[in-house]
Amino acid sequence: MKGVREGAAGTWLLGGIAAACIAIMLGLLVFTLGMGLASLWPARVERIELRDGAVLLGEIVATDATSLVMRGDEAERIGGGYRRVRRADIRARDVPVDAVVLQLGDGRRRFAVGETPAELAQAHLMTEVLRPNAMGPFERTGVFLRHLFAFVTTPPDASNLSGGVLPALIGTVTLVLLMSVLVMPLGIATAVYLHQRRGPGMRIVRAAIDTLAGVPAIVYGVLGLGLFVHGVGGGIDRWFYPDRLPMPTFGSGGLLWAALTLALLTLPVVVVSVEQGLARIPAGLRTGSLALGATREETLWRLLLPAARPAVLTGLIMAISRAAGSVAPLMLVGMVKLAPASPLDGAFPYVHPSRQFMHLGFAVYDAALASPDAIRGVPRAYACAMLLVSVVIVLNLSAILLRNRLRDRYRALET
Amino acid sequence: MKLMSNSMPPLSGAGSIATGDQAAALSTRGLCLWYGARQVLEQVDLDVPTRRITALIGPSGCGKSSLLRCLNRLNDEIDGSRVAGRVLLGGTDAYASDAVVHELRRRVGIVFQRPNPFPMSVHDNVAYGLRLLGVRRRRELDERVEAALRATSLWDEVANRLDDSALALSLGQQQRLVIARAVAVEPEVLMLDEPASALDPAATLRFEELLHELARRYTLLLVTHNMQQAARVSDFTAFMHGGRLVEFGDTDALFTNPRERQTEDFITGRYG
Repeated sequence: MKGVREGAAGTWLLGGIAAACIAIMLGLLVFTLGMGLASLWPARVERIELRDGAVLLGEIVATDATSLVMRGDEAERIGGGYRRVRRADIRARDVPVDAVVLQLGDGRRRFAVGETPAELAQAHLMTEVLRPNAMGPFERTGVFLRHLFAFVTTPPDASNLSGGVLPALIGTVTLVLLMSVLVMPLGIATAVYLHQRRGPGMRIVRAAIDTLAGVPAIVYGVLGLGLFVHGVGGGIDRWFYPDRLPMPTFGSGGLLWAALTLALLTLPVVVVSVEQGLARIPAGLRTGSLALGATREETLWRLLLPAARPAVLTGLIMAISRAAGSVAPLMLVGMVKLAPASPLDGAFPYVHPSRQFMHLGFAVYDAALASPDAIRGVPRAYACAMLLVSVVIVLNLSAILLRNRLRDRYRALET
Repeated sequence: MKLMSNSMPPLSGAGSIATGDQAAALSTRGLCLWYGARQVLEQVDLDVPTRRITALIGPSGCGKSSLLRCLNRLNDEIDGSRVAGRVLLGGTDAYASDAVVHELRRRVGIVFQRPNPFPMSVHDNVAYGLRLLGVRRRRELDERVEAALRATSLWDEVANRLDDSALALSLGQQQRLVIARAVAVEPEVLMLDEPASALDPAATLRFEELLHELARRYTLLLVTHNMQQAARVSDFTAFMHGGRLVEFGDTDALFTNPRERQTEDFITGRYG
């Protein structure tokens, strides 16, 4: 009886820990999602009349017991409209129905009441005119969805504080896909080699790979800079583009070098996963294939690798997760705050691996810490983080679905 | 290539019993096998008669399975294994320096104790060896897969499940499937290593009928630890002990009137 009770307590403890992990994960997702999406919601515009007669118009972005912070009209520059107002100084406060919010192309936001000011109405740079206080919930939702769509499908404005994050999204996805294409053949080949070779030397190789998995990401960045950008890229420039020097063609950071760096970073993960998958295949299958007259190579290509496909996809999933989250090494090998040209465009050959690129992970850092306007930057950081998480989830889900379809076929093999 | 129809050396050693007029599909001469320093087979001289069932019996660890793995050179895959002597298949030495190992393995098929279907469809399992041979045309593949499945009387059971996973079949079906996979490439000799030990009695009985069917077209070499089975299904029986071939002869003669004392002790159950 005592044993049963102890077992029950252990079950509760383990269950509780598992539940806590899930709760933390879900909390993180919901929090990021909520904070990110809230910045796209059309906020209420308030009008405050102070005791000295001044009238302020704008959104309330922060409050405490004695004062509140209002983001008001940015007549001259971004971030120029903030005012801290002491509650004691407020004579009257209301929400004018006919308040207008004007979003300008340079990122500035202007507020007015009544008619749209004539000098603004004629400005070519105006991107959006809203009357948020007059909107019902459906209309607000419509505006929110439009903001969300614009966030994902438009490039940022010059300040990188407003506008969309399309280049960063494209950069992230292209980088991860290119990394996958590079790391999988390399990882599978290494795993096959390790699987087929036995002996004391292999233990050293395996220990080296396990160590590689623990090397800090920034170290890979330094390696990528020295080896790929300056070594390989510089070499290509000297041999093939000597007439353009000293302007680098491949000898500066770019998408290809970043993808190669990430491929090195994720290689141990893929190798370990694929090798475990190969080790799980019963020895009888290999013998059976050889007994039918297959050579070792034929056995590998026709039997072992197809049977290890679920493990290969597991490796890919883990590589994608690790690569999409690694920002530090990219700063050394071609990631920039604002890229002059996308590495993916309509001009032949469509993918330009030597170009610099933008990345959602860097957009998070940039908006949260390097922004001149923290109140606008932090929600934007959350929105970028949300998008980054979504990218990882979408990429992983597709690989997981593929793996589950394969698992069904090989289920009996795993039991 | 060594032709040996006329130049076959005289049989020697303990198991040198003539097999009458039977031509041998597979012969060994002075076959020795070592795993590292341990000798597993000693001077085995065996002639496996064509299109007959030859049973290989003997106590555990006597080298029966090792002998099978020598005959199609699966022992090559084991580190530290070493072979001396000759394995003659249709006049060529399987261990000659110019022998092509994977070609030899196609000619000498093997089925193991535990069925090892590949994790693919029933059709692809049987077609695996055919594709290795370079059969690409869909129609020819289908025909030969069907023929192999009919030969192992599995066709009626799986005809409408050809695209299902082979791992979903019952154990008895899996065992017949791997035999179909082996016969699909038309081997000259089919070796079976305790193929019925995982089957229940009813399945075993049907399986033995299948062996008789197969013996019309193939030379079978059957390792079994079940003496009744050896007596029931085989035409010839070889008794091995301690890595040596002790006695070889007609099954009825060997079981009713063994020449060697060791054989008699074993088949009467005094040890083994």
